[in-house]
Formats: sequence, C-alpha cells, structure tokens
Amino acid sequence: MKMNRLKNKEKLWISFICLIIGFMIAILFVTNQQTDQRDTRDLWEIRTSIKEEQESQEALYNEIATAEKVLQEYNGQSENQQISSLKESIGDLKENAGLTEKKGQGITISLKPLFSNKENNLEYPQLNAELLQLLVNELNDYGATDIALGNERIINISPIRDVNNNVYVNGSSIGDLPTTIYVLTSDSNNLMDHMEVSELRDYFALEDIRLEIKKVTELVLPAYDAPINLDGLKVLDSIEEGEE
Amino acid sequence: MWLPALFLVLGLILGFLTNITIPDIYANYLSIAVLAALDTLFGGIRAQLEDKFDQKVFITGFFFNVSLAAFLAFLGVQLGIDLYLAAIFAFGVRLFQNLAIIRRLLLEKYRFIKK
Repeated sequence: MKMNRLKNKEKLWISFICLIIGFMIAILFVTNQQTDQRDTRDLWEIRTSIKEEQESQEALYNEIATAEKVLQEYNGQSENQQISSLKESIGDLKENAGLTEKKGQGITISLKPLFSNKENNLEYPQLNAELLQLLVNELNDYGATDIALGNERIINISPIRDVNNNVYVNGSSIGDLPTTIYVLTSDSNNLMDHMEVSELRDYFALEDIRLEIKKVTELVLPAYDAPINLDGLKVLDSIEEGEE
Repeated sequence: MWLPALFLVLGLILGFLTNITIPDIYANYLSIAVLAALDTLFGGIRAQLEDKFDQKVFITGFFFNVSLAAFLAFLGVQLGIDLYLAAIFAFGVRLFQNLAIIRRLLLEKYRFIKK
C-alpha cells in the first residue's frame, strides 16, 4: 500500500489531526444534542397551572354565555324591546367603564400626615404619584372593583402623575393631605385584611404618611366626567396570537 | 491507514466522554471549523492517493483553513453578512469534488488489483 510509504512522524501528525477532528465533531454533536428547555415543574406545580388554566377557561365560557344571552335577547325581541335592551347594554357598558356613579360596600383609606417619627420636622408631608400608583395596583390586585381618589374616579385609562409637587389624577389635582381613597369591593373584610398587613404602610410611612382604613357599608363613588380619549387605540387587523 | 482512523475514534470518544458543550453562539464557528477540517482531511487523502501528499501543506492547510473559516464566520457576524455561507459553499463543493476523485482513484486501483 502507498500509505505504508509514509514516515512514522507523518503518520503521527495525520493521526493527531484526525484526533482533533474527532474531538471537534464530538463536541459539536453533544452541543446540538442538548435539549434547550426542560420542564422541571413537579406534579403540584403542574396541577396548579392546570387549575389556573381551567379557571380562566371557565371565565371565558361564562363571558361567552352572557354574550350569547344578550344576542338571543336582541334576536327574539320587537324593535322597541331591542332599543330598550340596547340602552340597557349601553348602561352596563357605561357602568363598567366608570361613567356612572356607583354605590356599594367597600372601604375608605384616609391618607393623613404622620408627624411622630422625626423631631423638628417642619416639612409638611407630600404625597407622590408613584406611591398612589402602587396603592391602586395593590387594591386592584386584592379584589377592588372600583376606586376613586378623592373626587376622581379611577377608570382603566386614568393617569396618576406628579405635577409641580402636586398629584394630578385625570388631569386635575387631588390636593394636599389629608385625602381619602374610596374603594368598592365585593369582599370588604378580605381587602381590609390585605391592606392592614400590606408593605405599603411602610412605604407610605417613609414619606410621613399614614393610612387609616375603615370599612363602609354604603359608599358612593363619583362618575368619571371627562371625555374618554381613545385616539391612541387602533383596531388590530392581524389575527392575534392563539386565535385561528 | 488504521492509525488515523483509530485516532479519529479516540477523538470522538474523548469528546463524548468529556461532555463539553459550547455556547450556542459559538456553535456556528465550530461547525464551520469542522467542515474546514473535514475538507482538509479529504484533500489529504486524495493527495495521498495521487502520490502528491506533502505533510507541510497538509498540516498548515488544516490549521489555516480552520482558522480562516472561523474568522470568515466571525467577520460575517460583525458585518451582518452571512459570510459563513460562502465558507460552507466553498468547503462543501470541494468536499464533494475530493470525494468523487477519491472514489474514482479507489475504483481504478481496485480494477488494477483485479487484473
């Protein structure tokens, strides 16, 4: 064979290069074989997520059922009735959007200045928008259905902003402390307990503000009176993910 | 002929046993380098069969091609051009050419031995 004519040294070199090639191929192979993401959830976590999904499915089914009911009402009615049920729907929608006054049980949270913890503190405590946003988020998280900051009803697009050391909600100032937040909820006790133990108390205390939470059986929230500006919203033409 | 093959297997075993993996972003470079290495190897085998084998050409070709391919891929990533495609194309074409020539040479040799 011709290969035998090679010197031993040459053979060794070629073998060495073959070794390198083999090594490289093996590394590449192992790298490509790696599974990128493994599901490491245990049985309990999977059950919990299934339950969550089932709950959201149920909620969606309920929504479909109500929508279908409304549709049936529209179909099986005379013109006058149709108009009245349309009006009813509009009323419902307005209520959902926060354009009407709303009564119900709930809690009030009074924000008051806290003077105890500093000596010679001449500054009057200032409210800031960030804290209020946190508070609103937490209230929504714990089951608040409707919220009003002072006289300003919070709707889905209500801005809470700092303007010249004043907090503006819906474009108008809510004034200095003390101020009151009205919250409607279906389960006042639950919400109150959550707020009592919330970390937010500490955050507010850092700004020298204390929270006074009271349960109220009969609350009236003001309506949102400014026009709702939806210029920024567009109808999405493309199909959303998950739809077919 | 058996020694390089043995070392190839040895390299494969070594690679699998050490279980080294490289980050995904570098996998491209390695795949190009592997292609270049294979190209050089087959080129070497062909040269050997044609009695034109030169050890220096083979060894420098191996390291030069591998690093050039990796560099080309790197440059491509930096410039946003898929330059590694050029490397894959060049090496792929050469690989097939070399394999075809090797096959023919082996066939001729087989016929020669049969006679």
